[in-house]
Amino acid sequence: MRIGLGVAAVVLLLAAPAAVGDPFIQRVAALVLLTAISASAWNLIGGYAGQVSIGHAVFFGAGAYASLLVFKLFAWPPIAGAPFGIAVSLVLALLIGVPTFRLRGHYFSMATIAVAELIRIVVGNWPLLGAAVGLMGPAVPRGLADLSFLSPLPYFYIFAAVEAALLWVTWAMARSRTGYYLRAVRAGERAALSLGVPVLRYKLVALLLSAGFTALAGSLYAVMVGYVDPESVLGILVSVQMVIVAALGGAGTLFGPVLGAVILVPVQQATNAAFGGSGSGLTYIVYGAIILAIARFRPGGLLELLHWRPRRAA
Amino acid sequence: MPPEPLLEATGIVKAFGSFRAVDGAGLTVREGEIVGLIGPNGAGKSTFFNCLAGDTQPTAGLIRFAGQEVTRAPADAHARAGMARSFQVPVTFEDMTVLENVMVGAFLRHPHRRDARERAREMLEVTGLARQAEARAGGLGTPGRKRLEIARALATEPRLLLLDEALAGLNPTEVRDAIGFVRGLHARGITLIVVEHIMEVILSLAERAVVFNQGKVIAEGVPRAVVDDPAVVEAYIGRSLAGRRLRRRRNPP
Amino acid sequence: MILAQVIVSGLLLGAVYALFSSGLTLIWGMMNVVNFAHGDFVMLAMYVAFVAYTLLHLPPLVFVPLAAALLFLLGLFVYAAIIRHVTRGPMLAQILSTFGLALLLRYTAFWIFSANFVTLPDTLVGGTVAIGGLRLQAARLLAGAVALVLTVGLHLLLTRTALGSRLLAVAEDRAAAQLVGIRPDRMQGLAWGIGAASTGIAGALIAMFYYISPTVGESLALIAFVTVCLGGFGSVPGALLAGLAIGVIEALSAYLIGAVYQDVVVYALFVVLLWFRPQGLLGQA
Repeated sequence: MRIGLGVAAVVLLLAAPAAVGDPFIQRVAALVLLTAISASAWNLIGGYAGQVSIGHAVFFGAGAYASLLVFKLFAWPPIAGAPFGIAVSLVLALLIGVPTFRLRGHYFSMATIAVAELIRIVVGNWPLLGAAVGLMGPAVPRGLADLSFLSPLPYFYIFAAVEAALLWVTWAMARSRTGYYLRAVRAGERAALSLGVPVLRYKLVALLLSAGFTALAGSLYAVMVGYVDPESVLGILVSVQMVIVAALGGAGTLFGPVLGAVILVPVQQATNAAFGGSGSGLTYIVYGAIILAIARFRPGGLLELLHWRPRRAA
Repeated sequence: MPPEPLLEATGIVKAFGSFRAVDGAGLTVREGEIVGLIGPNGAGKSTFFNCLAGDTQPTAGLIRFAGQEVTRAPADAHARAGMARSFQVPVTFEDMTVLENVMVGAFLRHPHRRDARERAREMLEVTGLARQAEARAGGLGTPGRKRLEIARALATEPRLLLLDEALAGLNPTEVRDAIGFVRGLHARGITLIVVEHIMEVILSLAERAVVFNQGKVIAEGVPRAVVDDPAVVEAYIGRSLAGRRLRRRRNPP
Repeated sequence: MILAQVIVSGLLLGAVYALFSSGLTLIWGMMNVVNFAHGDFVMLAMYVAFVAYTLLHLPPLVFVPLAAALLFLLGLFVYAAIIRHVTRGPMLAQILSTFGLALLLRYTAFWIFSANFVTLPDTLVGGTVAIGGLRLQAARLLAGAVALVLTVGLHLLLTRTALGSRLLAVAEDRAAAQLVGIRPDRMQGLAWGIGAASTGIAGALIAMFYYISPTVGESLALIAFVTVCLGGFGSVPGALLAGLAIGVIEALSAYLIGAVYQDVVVYALFVVLLWFRPQGLLGQA
């Protein structure tokens, strides 16, 4: 009965953008899913493993740049760059994770910002990557492989498929030994170690998975938008977006990032429309206030309000 | 030739800067023993204990456990080798249920969720926590959390269990229950090292007591005999008498 | 000669880095909380100086203490309203709270002052001073000297006064401090006040010769993180040495490789440091 209702709801949601027919709404729906992908990817390390990255833009940017770089250099379809973006992300993840995961506390968070800023500045001055101007994708679609469509609908369905796959991976991980170990690491490393949990290895596994999927999200972004520059894919606000979306819905929960994206992306589109882009910074004042309020009053996120909680022991 | 001891620690030194919290202490434990570690506060027994468990690495010395050298191995390697522990202040995974807490321990020997859950349920039966299986661990009281820690440690199927003041903070009835419980563990074939400052516990539980003072082992033997050792009286009781005198001076009647 | 000039101006800027990093290291060492809004505290202090000078025509002798006082109050407020409530929560809440605060401060400044870079007039503390053949901007010399004195002063405050020992007692063992009658909440609040005030002074000093913009705190925060990691967390003398070193490294890389890459060199240094000497240069393994 519940499963039937769930399937019906998903089918309805998937069919809705096609039925509505308004390209603006279709575009927002596609953006919701893209945002959900990157936030779900962040959630693997930031939510489940409790290691808060505030520099995930570096992985997103690696995917985005790789896609348009293979087009620029070899005239390949942009999506063919995704494996390269993922590979670069994994290397960067090891570079950040191996030294900081041996340390306790905030070193990981600080290293993620430092590396993200370092890469952003380097990319912004590197002619091969278009320096401050960035890179462009194919101006005119040359074939289906370019995944360049006028309508947002195809993107909506591509993103839906990727997010479904990511959610499945997350779900499978969460109920396996890895998921239990990550939650134990988040709750207390010392206790986890005493039970034989190889803490460093599990944190690295979560980070690598997270970085890989974030890079894929970056590639998908580049494929849809068709251009990248340092600010739009490597800027600190890209990282912030992932954190806030996941934390708003509920970090460390399966559907938290989806809920966060469903709420935040339309709000963001509306404020951008109302205040004329993000130029005034008002959007980010609101972001800052939301993050602060979640941290202060509801660190479990919104899903915590709806979610089943284990009952208190008598 | 007697079989190799389960645990053998020799010449353990743990220095923090110029301060030697543990200063050349050693301990040998045979399979099936219950050994009590006692000593006044700050005697170095907790630091020594943490070295045994792999929680901190000793500055010098050698630790062999179950035939392997584990001196500098991290805590998770100790656990895999068959050593489990409780913490002085219980550190349960608060947001997980009681059952899930124990499953984290059980996953060490049972990689599949179904097996781990089954094993965890058995441990909850053994520790009398079965009724609270689905409760949030953070909601348990102190005795419950101490039991949960032990259940979680047992789920790793250890040969040696290290209990760090597992009975502190319990009321007399709870202490009596707990002593019976620890005896039950021993009857299951688990070797135990118990750090405790409650003398009654050591006297009624341990087959052998090891007394720490100022980072060194100052006496060792049958608990009854050790308590009467003059050196122990001076280090342990003497200090508490001194403490009592000090308190009296501070609060004149 | 140019090289000597570069090194000395690096040292002067480094002294200011040391001062605001001391604020960060104090809070971090006290309660194991990293203030991700630290750079934005510096930014606020710079705008305090800017507004005080351009609107009210107040001289540095007034606006530096003013920035210290305002930031002290901000530090107390942030502790009481936010930090006190999140320290016992999950790590996520701790990091998000100061990070959210950073965004809020940064983009509020952005909204009020716009993205434009502004500077205080060169003539504020005018002229150059010649010392042993080096020509140094008076403003930088003044800022460096004041910062150096205050950093040493902060160290003495922590190590030589009763207040300092009470602060360190709370850092060492909160519960034990409480037993001997110290109120940990007050001490931690005070640490936030003092940390923010030193940051405020550093910001007002640096404003005399540095560009001011809403996002200036972003790179300054990273410099403070690197300084604290290099110096060993919680150590004011470590922050002083590390601050001076980073000032020189920045100045040299700007001179030798180009100004664009001066931050890159510092961040790269940070990553290298994490790999090879995470306990900092002065810390023990």
